[in-house]
Amino acid sequence: MGLPLNARHAMLGSVSGRHRSPIRGSALEFAQYRKYVPGDDTRRLDWRTWGRTDRYYIKEFEADTNLRLCFIVDTSGSMGYGEKGKTRLDYAKSIVGTLAYLASQQGDAVGLYAGSKNDTDTSFSREIPPKRGPRHLGVMLDQVALLEASGETGLVEAIHQAAEKIAQRALIVIVSDLLFDVTPLQEAFQHLKFRKHDIVAFHLLDREEIEFDFDRPTRFLDLEGGPSLLADPALIRRRYQDAVKGYLDQVNQIVNQSVIDYHRTFLDESYEQALARFLVGRNPKTARSAR
Amino acid sequence: MSFLQPILLIGLPLALLPIIIHLINQHRHRTVKWAAMMFLLDAKKMTKGMARLRQILILAMRVLAVIALLFAASRPLAGGWLALTGGGADTVLILLDRSASMEQQNLESGKSKRVSALEKIAELTETTGSNAEIILIESATLTPTPVANAESLADLPQTAATATASDIPALLERGIDYLAVDESGRTDIWLVSDLRQNDWKTGSGKWQTIRANLSAKESARLFLLNYPDTDVRNLSLSVAEVERRKTPEGHQLVMDLKVRRNASAAETEETVRVEFTVNGTRTVEEIALSGEETLRLGHTIPLGDANMGETRGWGRVDLPADDNLADNTAYFVFDDEAVKKTVIVSADPTSADAIRAAAASALDSSGKYESYIIEPSRTAEIPWEETALLFWQAPLPEEGSTEAALLQQHAESGRALVLLPPDELSGESFLGFKWGEYLGKGEELLKVGWWRTESGLLANTRNGNPLPVGDLNVFQARANEGEIQPLLKLESGEVVIGKLISETQGPVYIWATLPRSNFSTLASDGIAFFVMIHRALDEGVAAVSPARTSDANSAALAGTPAAAPLDEMAIGDSLAAPGLLPAAFEYTTTDQSKRLLALNRPTSEDDLRIVDAEGISPLLEGVEFRKIRDEVENESSLASEIWRLFLVTMALALLFEAALCLPLPLEEKSEKPLGESSS
Repeated sequence: MGLPLNARHAMLGSVSGRHRSPIRGSALEFAQYRKYVPGDDTRRLDWRTWGRTDRYYIKEFEADTNLRLCFIVDTSGSMGYGEKGKTRLDYAKSIVGTLAYLASQQGDAVGLYAGSKNDTDTSFSREIPPKRGPRHLGVMLDQVALLEASGETGLVEAIHQAAEKIAQRALIVIVSDLLFDVTPLQEAFQHLKFRKHDIVAFHLLDREEIEFDFDRPTRFLDLEGGPSLLADPALIRRRYQDAVKGYLDQVNQIVNQSVIDYHRTFLDESYEQALARFLVGRNPKTARSAR
Repeated sequence: MSFLQPILLIGLPLALLPIIIHLINQHRHRTVKWAAMMFLLDAKKMTKGMARLRQILILAMRVLAVIALLFAASRPLAGGWLALTGGGADTVLILLDRSASMEQQNLESGKSKRVSALEKIAELTETTGSNAEIILIESATLTPTPVANAESLADLPQTAATATASDIPALLERGIDYLAVDESGRTDIWLVSDLRQNDWKTGSGKWQTIRANLSAKESARLFLLNYPDTDVRNLSLSVAEVERRKTPEGHQLVMDLKVRRNASAAETEETVRVEFTVNGTRTVEEIALSGEETLRLGHTIPLGDANMGETRGWGRVDLPADDNLADNTAYFVFDDEAVKKTVIVSADPTSADAIRAAAASALDSSGKYESYIIEPSRTAEIPWEETALLFWQAPLPEEGSTEAALLQQHAESGRALVLLPPDELSGESFLGFKWGEYLGKGEELLKVGWWRTESGLLANTRNGNPLPVGDLNVFQARANEGEIQPLLKLESGEVVIGKLISETQGPVYIWATLPRSNFSTLASDGIAFFVMIHRALDEGVAAVSPARTSDANSAALAGTPAAAPLDEMAIGDSLAAPGLLPAAFEYTTTDQSKRLLALNRPTSEDDLRIVDAEGISPLLEGVEFRKIRDEVENESSLASEIWRLFLVTMALALLFEAALCLPLPLEEKSEKPLGESSS
């Protein structure tokens, strides 16, 4: 098997899996000794220790469990940026599909929460609670394939809703362009953190959006339905780049303070490469060398 | 501004091309679906003001470049210092200051201020290709002269050098009068002057009328082409008080000689070679100069054997050539002194006797003094031709009467006239002057408040001591009305002694009090009284003297029939510009007596003070005029093609436009490319 998908935090799964659980279990890996208290399973008493110390100790082992992998996908209009078939949303779909397949192969449960602001604020346009099994994976991939970019961004609200809906610890993978005022994003991340979720963010950007390398007057049509804007790029490039720099600095600050696994990904990079970097970073054996 | 190829200005609408191209370009934009609108909106908001200004500046520079190109191709003309020319005028009126000071010249080119100005105006007229009618009015004669060919302007006899002084207000007034009668279409008035204070007469009452008339003439533009530069190496010469004396050493001429030089050269010690010519005989003398003004009082020239027997004659004094040739020569004439005759027309024997006694007293032992008293009813007996000073203590003659005409002629011929208060008022006026009622009743003392000490009858003596006018007591005086220059005023401000401001050549004084005990102590404190009478007499004597000196002007030879120049070297000039150049003449009067006359430039022309910008502004307040300062050393023409200037403007506009189009550098350069993740 290639690179596995690992959770960085302990997961509370319903079945045995390859991820560490906060509950002591019967796995082979020793966890700790603790004093016997009445009611403990006497089968777990370490008789050898009793023999040496004349005291009762319980020997505890790590428990391995499965994880819940939940995707929060931004489907606002801005995710439709790019050539047909190579849009930002297409890129997001590739990431989601690959990771979902990978998790499913490991026996993990996968779920999907996707939407934008033009949807009702009580539910996502696509909401698939995390479940295990190849059949569920097939359903989920079908739903991912049906995602379309439209409307304004509602990612912050989506994160808050997902935080409320996903009851148990999960690996939350957020895929978005984050092209909105990111100030409330920190609070949303904190919400997820409070629920003890492991958060991963794929920030999808196009180099053209950063470098703004246009050479003649251009009318910019807002993909999220806002008014269009006619501008001479030569005149505003400097200010534009200043604005981008300020925005990126703010994003960096938020992700650092929120301690999330943040991946800024450019669309000209292959998604396999982006995912490989992500997976390597999460593998305890390869993480150090990857960094 | 005028153009040699004005047809090309039709292309001026092409200046709108950059704006049109910009607008087309704006409409030819491409359309892009864009996600990161938030950055665009931020950038737009931040650059809104600056970007728009930059855009406007770029467009303005492009428009300016096109306009400059079109202007350059149209070959614009402009004067030096970018003064705009008067192209397109229907009439060009040249008012020329022809005074002696305008002869200041550039030694290298030999061109005087006058010639330089005339040539430049002629060149301007020719360069602009104007078909304007050119009218010349010069200060010496104030006669309008049409000029057929601008090229010949500097060669006309009407623009030749003179030794006269100018009256700029009169010149402007004459120009305005001409325009009032003959103006057609737009007129450019070119006033050419060296801005000398004595010529501009800033205190003249004419300026108010000039301002009003000029500002009312919307079709006239005034150009003041001025040459105020006085910092030159120049000496000027004047001669006064010439008389022939017999001394034990022989006959000699005695004169007061004055040599002036610029203040900048006043510190240097130098000697100047002065040439004296007496009746054609030439002598040379070195004179040491010190300070700004060297005065040789009583300078003597021994008369050689050739002139020993001559009692009359002429002479000239010359300085070597310098920056101004017009002030290097002074003529003089000499003859037996005239009888200093005073006539007192009075019915008041007390006053008349006092005056007669003072006038008959010899101030100078060599002079002959005579004085007579004539009753007012016997004025026909006045020997008008011989009278140097006339006291008139009688009612002012009726206007238009023979007496009034004779009295005016007496003053106009250069003789002195003193008007004394009559016992009775006639109600008549003379030269704008009129007697009023008596001030005081002869009992109370009317205190003397002020008297003029720098000039006039009561001026300080030569050594600077004041006359004892303060001791004078006045008890009674007549009020007076008219344009009077006060010489003595009471504390109440009333003028007691004054000089009538009139156009007459001879002085007209008014004495409002009498030398009588109930009027004043003039007679008893006789010093001031005596001095006043003899000063007035001296002024009048000049007109009756067989040898007199006068300022050169167009009227200088009036009343001198068949005046013949005596200096053979200058006969041509004297005849070409009669009365306007320094010369010595002999003429015969109506009584067949031979008289001598020396004409010289007015000494006021030696005054280097100029009217500066602050002085001119109030004189021409409200008048739209352009002041163009020039120098004789300046060879550039008034109108020159300035297409280069427009080409430079175009180049600068394009450079500026290019600089504005350059992309602005980022303020901070990040070490890693923008957008790279920090995590």
